[in-house]
Amino acid sequence: MDAFINDLIAYSPQIMAGLKNTVLLMVIMSVTGLIGGVAVFYLTLSRANAVRTWVERYISFFIGTPLLVHLFLMYYGLPQLGVHLSAFTVCIIGFTLNVSAYNARYLMTAYHGLDKTELEAAQAQGFTPPEIFRLIILPQVIRLSVPSLTNQVIQNLKDTSVAFLIQYPDFFAQVQEIASTNFQFFKAYMTAGLVYLVLVSIIVLAARRLEKRLILPGFQT
Amino acid sequence: MALAKGAGYTILVTIASVCAGLAIGLLMAVLSRLQWKPLSLFLAAYLYVFRSIPVLVLLFIVFFGLPSMGIRIPPFTAMVLTLGLISGAYLAEIFRGAMSAVDRDEILAAEAMGMSRMQSFLYIILPQMFRMSIPGMINEFTSILKYTPFAYTVGIPEIMKEAMSLAALTLRGVEIYLAVGIIYFAIYKLFVMLFMVFEKKFRVPGLAHE
Amino acid sequence: MALLEVKNLVKKFDDKDVLKGINVELSEGQSKVVMGGSGCGKSTMLRCLNLLIQPTSGEIIFKGEDITRPGVDVRKLRQDIGFVFQHFALYRHLTVQDNVTLGLRKLKKMSANDATEKALYELERVDMVEHRHKYPAQLSGGQKQRVAIVRALAMDPAVLFLDEPTSALDPQMTREVVTVINKLFLDNITMLCVTHDPFLAKYISDSIVFLDKGVVVAEDIAERLFYDHPDPRVRHFFLSVIDHR
Repeated sequence: MDAFINDLIAYSPQIMAGLKNTVLLMVIMSVTGLIGGVAVFYLTLSRANAVRTWVERYISFFIGTPLLVHLFLMYYGLPQLGVHLSAFTVCIIGFTLNVSAYNARYLMTAYHGLDKTELEAAQAQGFTPPEIFRLIILPQVIRLSVPSLTNQVIQNLKDTSVAFLIQYPDFFAQVQEIASTNFQFFKAYMTAGLVYLVLVSIIVLAARRLEKRLILPGFQT
Repeated sequence: MALAKGAGYTILVTIASVCAGLAIGLLMAVLSRLQWKPLSLFLAAYLYVFRSIPVLVLLFIVFFGLPSMGIRIPPFTAMVLTLGLISGAYLAEIFRGAMSAVDRDEILAAEAMGMSRMQSFLYIILPQMFRMSIPGMINEFTSILKYTPFAYTVGIPEIMKEAMSLAALTLRGVEIYLAVGIIYFAIYKLFVMLFMVFEKKFRVPGLAHE
Repeated sequence: MALLEVKNLVKKFDDKDVLKGINVELSEGQSKVVMGGSGCGKSTMLRCLNLLIQPTSGEIIFKGEDITRPGVDVRKLRQDIGFVFQHFALYRHLTVQDNVTLGLRKLKKMSANDATEKALYELERVDMVEHRHKYPAQLSGGQKQRVAIVRALAMDPAVLFLDEPTSALDPQMTREVVTVINKLFLDNITMLCVTHDPFLAKYISDSIVFLDKGVVVAEDIAERLFYDHPDPRVRHFFLSVIDHR
């Protein structure tokens, strides 16, 4: 055990750098995924049938196919067409497309539960559709989806571990490195698991505080 | 062709993992009903740990880690165990929620009729729980399917592994990975359709599950 | 000898005395109604009698045996006591017919055919045969309660307990259900019914037990209990629930 801890300390700069990359990836895709999710959700409310159909197809495709395939397609496939993207760029694009699809789904579910007479009231008052979306729909739908959206953030954190399969030097990639030099696979991976557990706990605690701040009377989810 | 063979493995891993997940989830959900303190602590810990740990990390612990502790697990078992443990944690939550949605009066009525706890569980709680869990089960199944590509990292010749060697051989990555995406989507649609057929067959008016 | 004899029944929840020594008797073929204001303990009493709630002390003698003693087969006992709930408690995942046959098949071990035959016969009595393939969600409240009554009766219990069977229903449906229970009353089905509805009580009882704060304060036929009863607690209650026009 001592030897292993010594290794951990020796490699700590590398591990910290990996951890930084992991957290960075998670934060960026959580933000882009939320923005993307809202945008996709907005399109699902479109009056044009064609738009709705294609958006629904987009969501369904990204929910129904593995993230890894999208990452591999971009990272290992695109160079064949002369497009070379860095692992980081591939991750951001791939994750954003994926997370947006999921977040849009959650927002749609919340939307279905909304009291539609409120929307009629807003219309009757003379609000334009974009105003109704921004002022009436979005604030409610986001609040109702907070548990799902924060769960997605946790999912995002866990999914960053996939990034090392396309050579992105995230936390798990560094743990791999160490394990393959000292052959302490079990201890290394258990440590990794523990670190993810701690990170998830931090997100859970933050999410609880957020939920408390966002709560309105009558908005029990 | 190689992709088709890989798809067979993918489906096999998915079905085995779904079964493992359902078994573990159901067991956990049932145990949580016993309301025995040490057991509920254990269950809470189980749910927390296995919902926090990434699939890939757990897979590496099981497949690459355990051998250094003297426990050797074949690739297929390792994959199914990993996905089963994780999806079991999620399914346990889904089942628990569905069980608590069963009307308490109905359980009381079963008791008043002279049913044992086992009988009321079997005839009243379980059938309602399954129906109400269908959307959650579809989600979990989808997650499992989408995590099966990780199987290539432990050497199972599923779609992804076949695709990688094919891509290395032909240098036609775009076409191959697009085809892979389409195959996964087809499998996904197929399973969802199967679920829907089941759901329709067992649908009961008034037992909403949305 | 009485079918059911309750002696000095006491039930305490924590430190609260809900039942303070109840004495009631019910003979075969007799129908009694238990009345009283909310919180008088009438529903608790009914649940004690089939041991859905464990009484604190007292004796409950059913068919000559004290069922509060240890070693009593509670499930056998409950199969012999039909129970109808205020909110119907039909099994939502089963059709009307399956709600009735479930107990017959799984508890009485009847064959599917026999159980169905029995269910249809019983459903006929309450005019629900044509709805037998519907699910509870597709029925009105009155229809649900009629099915619930049949579900209990199909087990051929020695006695039928009814806990506020009309309280969750509107007047029209209440009439529907009262008619059904009245029919059972005329058929001499042994019943014990808890209610605060004098209309129901009058049409389905040989006598009425009046409960107040966990004790029996009066027992009499409806006419003598409802109007100008000497006990002020009884008089007060019926003044408030009966429309004197």
